[in-house]
Amino acid sequence: MPRKVFAALAGATFVALAPVAAYCAGDAPSAAAAVDVQSLAKVVPGHTSKAGITALFGKPWRVLQFNDCGEAMDDQADETWEYRGRDSSGSYRLHIEFSDDGTVHLIAKIPDNSPGGEGTAAKVAPSAPMPGMSM
Amino acid sequence: MPRTIARIALLALTLAAPALAQSYPPDGPNIPVIANTESAAGAFGQPLAAPPPPKAWDRESLWNMKVEGFNDNQGRPIYQPLVVDQSGRELLYLGNLAGDMLNPLTGKVESNGTSIIDVTDVHHPKFLFHIPGPPGNVGNAGAQMVRVCSGDVLPHGEKGKWYLLRAFGNAGPDESHQLWDVTNPAAPTFISTIVSGLSNTHKSWWECDTGIAYLVGGSKADGWHQSGTAQHLKIYDLSDPRKPVYIRDFGLVGQEPAADIKTTHSCTSNPGPNCYEGAKNPPAGVHGPISMGPKVNRVYLPYGVGRDGVIQIVDRQKLLTGCTLPTASPHCATNPTQAELLYPQVGVIAMNPENGGHSSMPVLGVPMPQTQAHFANGSPQKKDLLIVSSEDTANNCFGQAPHDAWILDITDDATPWPIATLTVPQEPGDFCEKGARFGAHAVSEAIYPPYYGKIIGISWFNAGARIWDIRDAENPRPIAYFIQAPNKNTVASCATIHGVATCHNATMNDYVEFDDRGYIYAADRAGSGVTILSLTGDALKVVTPPATPQRH
Repeated sequence: MPRKVFAALAGATFVALAPVAAYCAGDAPSAAAAVDVQSLAKVVPGHTSKAGITALFGKPWRVLQFNDCGEAMDDQADETWEYRGRDSSGSYRLHIEFSDDGTVHLIAKIPDNSPGGEGTAAKVAPSAPMPGMSM
Repeated sequence: MPRTIARIALLALTLAAPALAQSYPPDGPNIPVIANTESAAGAFGQPLAAPPPPKAWDRESLWNMKVEGFNDNQGRPIYQPLVVDQSGRELLYLGNLAGDMLNPLTGKVESNGTSIIDVTDVHHPKFLFHIPGPPGNVGNAGAQMVRVCSGDVLPHGEKGKWYLLRAFGNAGPDESHQLWDVTNPAAPTFISTIVSGLSNTHKSWWECDTGIAYLVGGSKADGWHQSGTAQHLKIYDLSDPRKPVYIRDFGLVGQEPAADIKTTHSCTSNPGPNCYEGAKNPPAGVHGPISMGPKVNRVYLPYGVGRDGVIQIVDRQKLLTGCTLPTASPHCATNPTQAELLYPQVGVIAMNPENGGHSSMPVLGVPMPQTQAHFANGSPQKKDLLIVSSEDTANNCFGQAPHDAWILDITDDATPWPIATLTVPQEPGDFCEKGARFGAHAVSEAIYPPYYGKIIGISWFNAGARIWDIRDAENPRPIAYFIQAPNKNTVASCATIHGVATCHNATMNDYVEFDDRGYIYAADRAGSGVTILSLTGDALKVVTPPATPQRH
């Protein structure tokens, strides 16, 4: 898929997912950056770097890494950054996973009250290394 | 009224087990005596209710358990909980997985390390301190493992002091194991780094009454061979925490630096020089040892974590002194011969490639209800058991066979043999569609009353903390579970299956552990905190001493 087309699709997805994004300090146990629609649209899985994410959203609310047992868990996506926000549907987290090369592997806007079951759709880099193993 | 009954039962549990946890491994040499509390019918004399279906995916589900308390652990994902009866206080130490999070106590963002929570009052746990983990690249960070010993118990510890052993970093260029002074758990102080320059660390064991520490680690430069994670045993004498003394490295045959892994062959099909133990060449790394101390004289070692597993039982004395023998090779400690690795080996059993050794928890001297008479020599029979688990590592069950746990009969520990499977069905609960991992992880490690030999806890990720009645070890019964509801700190688990990426808010129980009062701790890997529970209903009856023990 041409890069421009992919970027446009990614942007459209997040415009639809994030109608009125706004930071709400009351939901966050620590300082968090505001997440706005325009910034979400600029994130392109497979291309956007950590520096790019920081430039867009500031420092994350939480960073996680589940490299438990090292190679015993091959192909699990590594570092995860989270941002908190609130829109007309309620509070949510912006969930971003990075590949080993430091680019965004997966991004999703996940409502805190997500009912489970179907889960929340995520945008993933087209060259995801191994399906089903990201965490 | 039911609450009053539950409190009375819990009190009875405690009174029935007056011996402190400090009498038993890792603090002391004694093994809890397990009384038979069942009729000869064993499990078949008990109610055999199937676990009830859990509630909806976003709701808490409880079966024969009750929530007593909770702490959010500052939103840090927990790997290992350890409950210590420390100078009259019950303290919960939590080893955390890697990450960065604000510490509200300091106002600073801190790399995930070790949390210390006062759980003396389980209804009001108090977060005392967070010892940060390694700074820098989060990919190398975390401090997943923790052990604590009293200076009153350590042979050369300072009286009145308490010492903490932890991994510092998980997988990177310079990981290490550290010692801290936690005498004042609200203000720990760093003591020393025992060993650094490791590329991997994992779950260690520390004998408080001898000081011997079985550290798990390795480096790509040390020459040892492991498939998967580069880690084996590095054994130290920490009887004086300020003066660590290196003893030796140890692993499976086929992992030693001298093994020629290009030409080595299976020890099973072709035993002899230059062979490897198990189904994988070279054998997978060790996960976490448990030593039963000098009295039992055995160390139990699970290799492989979630695949290519081997379970090994070794003679502790031979393990510790093998490289001091006059016949030992010059580099026995760091580069042993195959014979020097085999010298302490008592028993070994290979798992299939789909399963690995994550936990191997010994439960010794369990009366077998159905063999209390008329079997073997006509005397009441007891068995030594090893509870083994294999860790699931895939979200949404995708791409992996189910991971379970098993009870092995190690009465003859040269020939371990499985006698029962501990499993959780995918239904009811639709756990493979719930998100996150579904499968076994770790086995509870409390070698003290009131639960030792009666029940066992196994973390089952999105299926929660699961409890089995193991009094009739050939017929274990599931008797309780707790599945935590996602909360505002639960990190989503994402999976890409057939090209479709989806994220779920699902909790993942990483460890379930017991304290010496009978409380149960369910630690969440997905950042949702730690929940303190008690047993109720039929599960409480299993662990409540009967007025008159039923002996047949």
